[in-house]
Amino acid sequence: MRKAFVGLIAATLFMFAFSFMLVPLYNVFCEVTGLNGKIYGPSDFFKSEKEVRERNVNIRFLSQVNESAPVTFYPSSESLEVLTDKVTKTSYIARNNTNKTLTLTIVPSVSPGLAAEQVKKIQCFCFEEQTLAPYEEQEWPIRFYVDSELRENVNDIYLSYTLFENNRENSMVMHHDS
Amino acid sequence: MSAVVESHDHHHGPKKGLLRWLFTTNHKDIGTLYLWFSFLMFLTGGAMAMGIRAELFEPGLQLMDPIRYNQLVTMHGLIMIFGGVMPAFVGLANWLIPMQIGAPDMALPRMNNLSFWLLPAAFTILLSTAFMEGGMPGFGWTFYAPLSTNYPNIAYFVFAIHIMGISSIMGSINVIVTIMNMRAPGLSLMKMPLFVWSWLITAYLLIAVMPVLAGAVTMLLMDAYFGTSFFDAAGGGDPVLFQHIFWFFGHPEVYIMILPAFGITSHIISTFSRKPLFGHSSMVYAMVSIAVLSFVVWAHHMFTVGMPLVAELFFMWATMLIAIPTGVKVFNWVATIFKGSITYETPMLFAIAFVVLFTIGGFSGLMLAITPADFQYHDTYFVVAHFHYVLVPGAVFSIMAAVYYWLPKWTGNMYDEKMGKLHFWLSFIGVNVTFFPQHFVGLAGMPRRYADYALQFAEWNAVSSIGAFLFGFSQLLFLYIVVKAVMAGKKATPQVWDGARGLEWTVDSPAPYHTFEVPPKITEQTKL
Repeated sequence: MRKAFVGLIAATLFMFAFSFMLVPLYNVFCEVTGLNGKIYGPSDFFKSEKEVRERNVNIRFLSQVNESAPVTFYPSSESLEVLTDKVTKTSYIARNNTNKTLTLTIVPSVSPGLAAEQVKKIQCFCFEEQTLAPYEEQEWPIRFYVDSELRENVNDIYLSYTLFENNRENSMVMHHDS
Repeated sequence: MSAVVESHDHHHGPKKGLLRWLFTTNHKDIGTLYLWFSFLMFLTGGAMAMGIRAELFEPGLQLMDPIRYNQLVTMHGLIMIFGGVMPAFVGLANWLIPMQIGAPDMALPRMNNLSFWLLPAAFTILLSTAFMEGGMPGFGWTFYAPLSTNYPNIAYFVFAIHIMGISSIMGSINVIVTIMNMRAPGLSLMKMPLFVWSWLITAYLLIAVMPVLAGAVTMLLMDAYFGTSFFDAAGGGDPVLFQHIFWFFGHPEVYIMILPAFGITSHIISTFSRKPLFGHSSMVYAMVSIAVLSFVVWAHHMFTVGMPLVAELFFMWATMLIAIPTGVKVFNWVATIFKGSITYETPMLFAIAFVVLFTIGGFSGLMLAITPADFQYHDTYFVVAHFHYVLVPGAVFSIMAAVYYWLPKWTGNMYDEKMGKLHFWLSFIGVNVTFFPQHFVGLAGMPRRYADYALQFAEWNAVSSIGAFLFGFSQLLFLYIVVKAVMAGKKATPQVWDGARGLEWTVDSPAPYHTFEVPPKITEQTKL
């Protein structure tokens, strides 16, 4: 009886630890498979054996501002026709609408998720935190190319950026506490 | 140790007064506490449902603002799941498992006491948010992050869930240890009554997933107050990860709320058909397969988050696979009824309604499992109709059936059969009038979790509200019938129902405070 009891307590503790293990497991799974539109290093999980050839792909640029971050944020061009393997340059515009300095994080996402791996970024404002002085407007460049190993049935790729404000003074938690 | 004097009287009765209930370690007392607590929570959650349906009686905002409405929806879900259905099943387990396996009590009686008394504490914490600035949680019972991490009073919610989880886990450990160690000699696992089997499987499910729920709410707490970013994209986290973790708990959880119902229904249908259950061992295997499959279907709750095709297909097929063992169970119940010598006492009426209405809920579940169709149904009233069909005329009807069926054994008095039947028909009509129209408005596109709706949904929502009031108020009749049977009534025989099988019917009615202090001998002749 004691053995069963101890075993069941151990199982409970293991499952509690397992729930935290799900976090890295989930990220590793997404990284290995290139699912969920996450952009990571190279992976050959879905690499096709077919002969590669250059072609045109339509890239559409999207922008979102999370919750009520006081920033205007949009792509300088909404879509571009690009040749695979050729480096392309475009940019996003961001403007601070407040009289305070803002630090911002921009999180990228690629759709369809299975094309995420082939969108290779050489330069991106999403690589590091960005700072905007009061009422400052900046143009943020990105340089990227689309690998010609892109799956054949993908002709349109959506590149989406969501902008988050890092100092969360305006977030709901603080608001309700005050 | 030789100084210990054996002066303890082994045949003492219950203590006198209220302290009896606070300190009791008797499985029957604790079962009673669980059942009354769950009934209180059922009325509390039910009152919230009445508020929801009153607001939805006609379009527009009449009684409350949308924030209050969301709070009622959230609390209704949390209270009915963690306070209503789960404690009711634990109460039945406490009363019945020792008597059905011929054990004198649960294996860990003091832990049993603690696991009950944690529950009132947890629900006091959860409900106390109603009196605070910021109010009750209003993010839905699924508490999706990062919506929930930005809510006020979330720490109360998190601690309440932690305490409920600890209570459930202790209850499950108790059930497993009891079943594994305290069966009467000769009662092999495959001979075990199905209610005991259903609880053994449920307890393993609880131990596997309640800690995951605890992990999820812990991460939520850390995101909200300690600056981590498990689910916050700005810090490198991922909101979709929350949904995966939550539903990894959430899907086994819905089977936790239905497996004991399967056990109860099997007993009742066999008794009132006056036949042994058809396919006892296939019932066991079906429940085990349902439990195992429940761990690989979670993402069917989140088809629309943007998963790759392979994953959507996998979760669709895995979900549909569950229809097979469930179909086996429904087939066996029907085969048990077939050519039986049937009478329709109240427990049997509830059990038959369970089989029919649960199957309807199962079929709408199959419709939802079809990935491309789910994109249309997702987050509409069709989903609301589906899970209420499996939970109300499913889980709740089975609990009511169990109460009517075992009440004479618990109280020694027969309940009022006429009133019982009246309660059944009012509930049956009420439930169907409430939830069937929700299929229609759901298919027409009415979204869930809004305090208001478009005008074209007005008629069916009015019908639904009328049904809800009928169902809600007829539960006061249930309270009256149970209290009346506790007070007085025709004396019950030990056998109670002439077709009943199982060890619990071999002891007196009411069951003495201590039963099976000497384990019964199980032979080939014992009717199980």
